Amino acid sequence: MEIDRPDGRTRNQLRPLACSRNILNRAHGSARWSQGDTIVLAAVYGPKTGTRKNENPEKASIEVIWKPRTGQVGKAEKEYEMILKRTLQSICVLTINQNTTTTVILQVVNDDGSLLPCAINAACAALVDAGIPVRHLAVAICCAMAGSGSVILDPTKLEEQQKMEAFSYLVFHNSVLSMLPEGSLHVDGEPMEHGIITSVTHGVISVDDYLYCLERGHAASAKISDFLRRSLQSHAPSDPSKAA
Amino acid sequence: MDGKPSNSPNSFIDQMVVPGDVVLDLSSMANQTIKLGGGLRQESDAISVMKAGKLKFSRPNKYWVESSQKRYVPCVEDTVLGIVVDSKAENFLVDIKGPALAFLPVLAFEGGTRRNIPKFEVGSLLYVRVVKASAGMNPELSCTDASGKAAEFGLLKDGYMFETSTGLSRMLLSSPTCPVLEGLGKKLSFEIAVGLNGRVWVNAGSPSTVILVANAIMNSESLSNTKQKIMVEKLLQKFQ
Repeated sequence: MEIDRPDGRTRNQLRPLACSRNILNRAHGSARWSQGDTIVLAAVYGPKTGTRKNENPEKASIEVIWKPRTGQVGKAEKEYEMILKRTLQSICVLTINQNTTTTVILQVVNDDGSLLPCAINAACAALVDAGIPVRHLAVAICCAMAGSGSVILDPTKLEEQQKMEAFSYLVFHNSVLSMLPEGSLHVDGEPMEHGIITSVTHGVISVDDYLYCLERGHAASAKISDFLRRSLQSHAPSDPSKAA
Repeated sequence: MDGKPSNSPNSFIDQMVVPGDVVLDLSSMANQTIKLGGGLRQESDAISVMKAGKLKFSRPNKYWVESSQKRYVPCVEDTVLGIVVDSKAENFLVDIKGPALAFLPVLAFEGGTRRNIPKFEVGSLLYVRVVKASAGMNPELSCTDASGKAAEFGLLKDGYMFETSTGLSRMLLSSPTCPVLEGLGKKLSFEIAVGLNGRVWVNAGSPSTVILVANAIMNSESLSNTKQKIMVEKLLQKFQ
């Protein structure tokens, strides 16, 4: 049962990805990540001395500021900030640089659907650009359930508004190259990379559909992970790298 | 024992690595002591990467990830350029672009006694050496070398300071002399101090020389050796 997507993609096809790093002069790390027309700019400042009042001084703390394209900061922005903070805290090594604060600022340049995953990918690239020690990278993807029960990946804003009954943002580990023999990084019989870091869902999804979303999302995350690896490995960090 | 790690299959030496990559499997290297430098982390039996960069290996047993950032991770015996932020009774507080402010004891100068403590204004630029740098503690600096002599450390007067990445600083300090400095040094006379924390100070007779040198260095970051030579020659031809 093929869904006709307005831009001609198949159900599992992602929009063109582009990533440029080190674009802001004053930020210690910065990245601009775009998926199709959704563009997010992330800037990282830090680590700077001192933590906020309620933070544990024995760990590095991460502060996230989300700036929408227009309008004032409201509850939706605060929710995004909280989700991002928890995701980034799980990938950073917090025991290095104790009693410091790293600030991540995200600026939405354009929102054409799948905004939070784009922001998570941008924040991850910016953290690497700033040299903040991270355990592994995070790749995020949006899976939407269309009315007829099929799952589409990376919806545009039009698709989000018209077709979707429910959607979920999924954040996975990146795929790693390893010197270890096969099987040693497995936890409970599954490779580490199948683990989920964050999952945010809206709407009503059945369990089977959700598991199917996870599977599709994981397959797509491998492609995003490869793209991220290529873009991090390019020697001149200020050159933009693109992938279709 | 592994004779040549670069010959083993799947070796990551001199390759670009990404955070999360596992580069060494310790279970196959029993009875060896391995020294890990920046960017690597031990997780039970595996050594994994924390920062994106190139994995380097130096005989007999040192591994590290070379990357270039705008912030600095303080290491012992590095020479850096610091800016005085405050002065207390016992120390000067100096900013070295790291996660924490560094302390420079007031007596850490050649012939320093309680009677002749130097007076640094807030904002002065100092060329100092890192003496102590451990996690969780503020780094400690000194204006003398290991034997107690002044050795060019101390206040840098006049001149112009600009910020670069740590990778560019390491390239400027590499030996043999990097092509940019060599090319500039043949035609111009200037004084330069390079801090491993990404700060460079240049002083010369005339402001135009200072600007020329500073721009040449900032432009040479992503250029290969031959391109650097060409860039310097073109620049000098235009202005001389």
